[in-house]
Amino acid sequence: MTRLDLTRSPRALALLRSRWPQFLLRAITLAGFIFTILAGLMGSVVGSHNFAIIFVWIAWWTALKLAFIPFGGRSWCSICPIPMPGEWLQNGGILQPRGSMGIGLGKRWPKVLRGTWIQAGGFLLIGLFGALTLTSAKITAIVLLFILVLALALSLVFERRSFCNYLCPIGGFSGLYAQAGPVELRVKDTDICAAHIEKTCYTACPWGQYPLALKSSANCGLCMECLRVCPSENIAVNLRPWGSDLGPKTKHRIDEAFLGLVMLASALVDSAIFLGPWGQLKSAAYNIGSPDWFLFAGAFLITALGILPGLYVGATWAANRFGSTNASLRKSLAHYSQVLVPLGLMVWIAFTISFAFVKFGYVLPVVTDPLGWGWNLLGLTKSAGVGETTSFSLVLQVAMLTVGLFWSSRVALRISETIRQAAPLIAFSSLFTMAMLWLLVG
Amino acid sequence: MPMESLPYKTTPTNWKRWAWVIPYAGLALLILFIPLPLPFHAPQDRLLRIEASSFQFTPGEIQINPGDRVTIELVSTDVVHGFSLDAYGFELKADPGQTATGTFIADQAGVFRFRCSVACGNLHPFMIGKLQIGPNLLFFRGIALGLLAISAALISVRNVSRGTT
Amino acid sequence: MKKERIARWIVIILVLTAIGVPLGSWWLSRAQGTQIEIHARMPENGGWSIDTIQAKVGQPIHLRLTSDDVVHGFALGKSDMESWLSIFPGEYVETTLVFEHPGKYIFYCTRWCGLNHWRMHGEIIVTGEGDPIPGDSLPLFLQYNIDIDAPHYAENIPSSPPSVERGSRFSDRLPNYAIDKQTYFLTSPEGLWLKLRSEPSLSDLSDMDIWDIVRWIWDRQNSSNSQSLGFKLFMALASAAHGESGRGDGVMARGLPVMDHSNMGSGLVRPPDFTDPHVLLSASPAILEGKIIRGGMGTGMPSWGSILSRDQIHSIIDYLYTIAWESIK
Repeated sequence: MTRLDLTRSPRALALLRSRWPQFLLRAITLAGFIFTILAGLMGSVVGSHNFAIIFVWIAWWTALKLAFIPFGGRSWCSICPIPMPGEWLQNGGILQPRGSMGIGLGKRWPKVLRGTWIQAGGFLLIGLFGALTLTSAKITAIVLLFILVLALALSLVFERRSFCNYLCPIGGFSGLYAQAGPVELRVKDTDICAAHIEKTCYTACPWGQYPLALKSSANCGLCMECLRVCPSENIAVNLRPWGSDLGPKTKHRIDEAFLGLVMLASALVDSAIFLGPWGQLKSAAYNIGSPDWFLFAGAFLITALGILPGLYVGATWAANRFGSTNASLRKSLAHYSQVLVPLGLMVWIAFTISFAFVKFGYVLPVVTDPLGWGWNLLGLTKSAGVGETTSFSLVLQVAMLTVGLFWSSRVALRISETIRQAAPLIAFSSLFTMAMLWLLVG
Repeated sequence: MPMESLPYKTTPTNWKRWAWVIPYAGLALLILFIPLPLPFHAPQDRLLRIEASSFQFTPGEIQINPGDRVTIELVSTDVVHGFSLDAYGFELKADPGQTATGTFIADQAGVFRFRCSVACGNLHPFMIGKLQIGPNLLFFRGIALGLLAISAALISVRNVSRGTT
Repeated sequence: MKKERIARWIVIILVLTAIGVPLGSWWLSRAQGTQIEIHARMPENGGWSIDTIQAKVGQPIHLRLTSDDVVHGFALGKSDMESWLSIFPGEYVETTLVFEHPGKYIFYCTRWCGLNHWRMHGEIIVTGEGDPIPGDSLPLFLQYNIDIDAPHYAENIPSSPPSVERGSRFSDRLPNYAIDKQTYFLTSPEGLWLKLRSEPSLSDLSDMDIWDIVRWIWDRQNSSNSQSLGFKLFMALASAAHGESGRGDGVMARGLPVMDHSNMGSGLVRPPDFTDPHVLLSASPAILEGKIIRGGMGTGMPSWGSILSRDQIHSIIDYLYTIAWESIK
């Protein structure tokens, strides 16, 4: 497969090798993160006038889904500030490679808690409380603060980026869809690594990955630490065709299927709540603790844990029967989870176009008055218009859903022996795409 | 060791494998944009009384025909709300007890969201209703595109399996 | 290690800036403190964030108003509609108030913000030298000891719409009391009709002629300016409860039980139907004034005596009668 190795350009290599560009970006995002927390706590309670709401849920959340992931895989993780304070302590310095200089117990993450299960659970929680979190600056700030403190605390107990690897819902989201992304970090020449005894790259990796064994971009946070410590300049940062981690031979775990299904369910439910014309559903999702909310939560959980997994298991079971090999259902569930990756990615992109394009007008007013205290720092307009969905945005949403169906069907076909075997998975994707089509443009 | 310039390729792309993309893209554009005749309904005057409360419109889903002369009566039942119809630039604002009325001609077909245009609380940005004017062609175009996408996937994989992968 | 130290300083400075900007400006705005910042919230969420303001005679107070949830309004009790302010969520509006007289002033919300909108008011307590706020005259129902809670329902109403123009033809035949202001205030249209009907000098006139006269008298007593101001006030303050046409079916009240005298005082009830001529033609301006000033005693009708000026109340009464006259078919 075609790859374009960025490290072959001396300029790009210098940029990636130096700790400074990435450090500066992370220092800025850290300051921004802390400012966001303060803005959420101290600023206007009116969401459209609070930096925390608009920058987290409109600007950043949109940028993640429309730019960082589709064009850079886990590129957000490489500049995410959340692990920064913990790593300062872990590494005994902020510009240091991983080493034994710092403090922390450095325990290994318990085996039973590995995988993306907790991340998927976290994403479900975001969905269950989403209507409140998305609209309340204070709750948003508290969630961000909680995440920052949790990451710091965990980094003192456990080794490396345990929080990112096993807990962060956004890490799970980015990791899952990074498999479809066009960026990967791989070794150039496996023989060089095999002959290298110290494994400095593994020691340096905050994610606990060994680059030689890296087959999927899901777990690599693109932090470039291995590239910096490799004595042989044997690490490549490749631009690659989209979807390169998805194919007949790649390895996948069953928790990826669960994570993928939770993401699909979240996209479905978020579309229904935030874009649909059903006011009672909105109120039910918002009034946490009310009887209506329990109904909503039940319906959400049944969709995420019952209906969608049921359909997926059914489709996989049928695919399994149509196949010649007698793979176990569990194995097939993991294998076909790849179909959920492009489907989910494109569905989230379509949802984001529908959701965020209307609300971009809110961004400038909070730039000029981030706390909603009546400032006008940049002399811009102080209140946003209503916003509207344009016909361009609608066509774009349909196009994204179409690409998603094409892509997931293609993956289904590529990882199946026959068309017949892929058909149930394609039917699953079609059904889901149609549901989204109805929610977004119906 | 690093080479001096980009790009660097390990294997050349076999572009012929992707030749089918061109007719398919053309077909996709055709499905998306080809003008379709709409069933004709004699335009009529419609009076729509829409009640706005936090955070919903009642009725929230409305169907009318293209060409209809629509009069909206916006009645707010709890706090000040607005009504802004996508693509039409049509807006009303109403205090409780003061019905706002406005008229427009439904000269664009499709499904349009209408949204509250006066901040009315936390869920205000999501206070949305749906006005369908004529059949929802985009939805049907979307379904046709979906079928096209599946057939494109079949073709792309068939061609791939003949190739080197 | 030098680079490491630079990096640490960069992080520390950036983070301190991120913390310092909001904290610092919050502290600065506290320290300057020439303005009083008031947040308006729905009464369920706390109402006015400050509901008692202290002021001194002649010393201006600067208010900075914003809303935390929905559109609210701000007005001083008995102020003109032109001075009412709208407060939009997340936006700020400023106003400066100066008081000439010591005493207690009311401020209240002028834009409906839910069922409890009418609870949303606060006080400005002005101290200092000067004459006290000129008080309103004693309400008519107290001056004349009228029971404003007595049931009233007109037994006589016109059979067709009365006409001011026809009524004016008989103006020179009327007894003096008929066009007296005091008679107007203390007599319901039906009452005046009965009185005139029993006048021997008018015995040649038909019932309808008398109604035309009453209609003409009512028209004489109030100007069209006053009626249109009354209409504006009614729409802004009352129509959400009383209905835009006065039918008693306003959006806030339409689900409530219909008022009858068995459920008076037992909770919120629907306002009366002003488009039923039996209702208002049996009420004198004094009764209506009393009800508006005092409020509904548990029916949900607020007490408007300190919120509206006497002139504003009379404008509303003038407008109400036009509803009654115009709904006669």
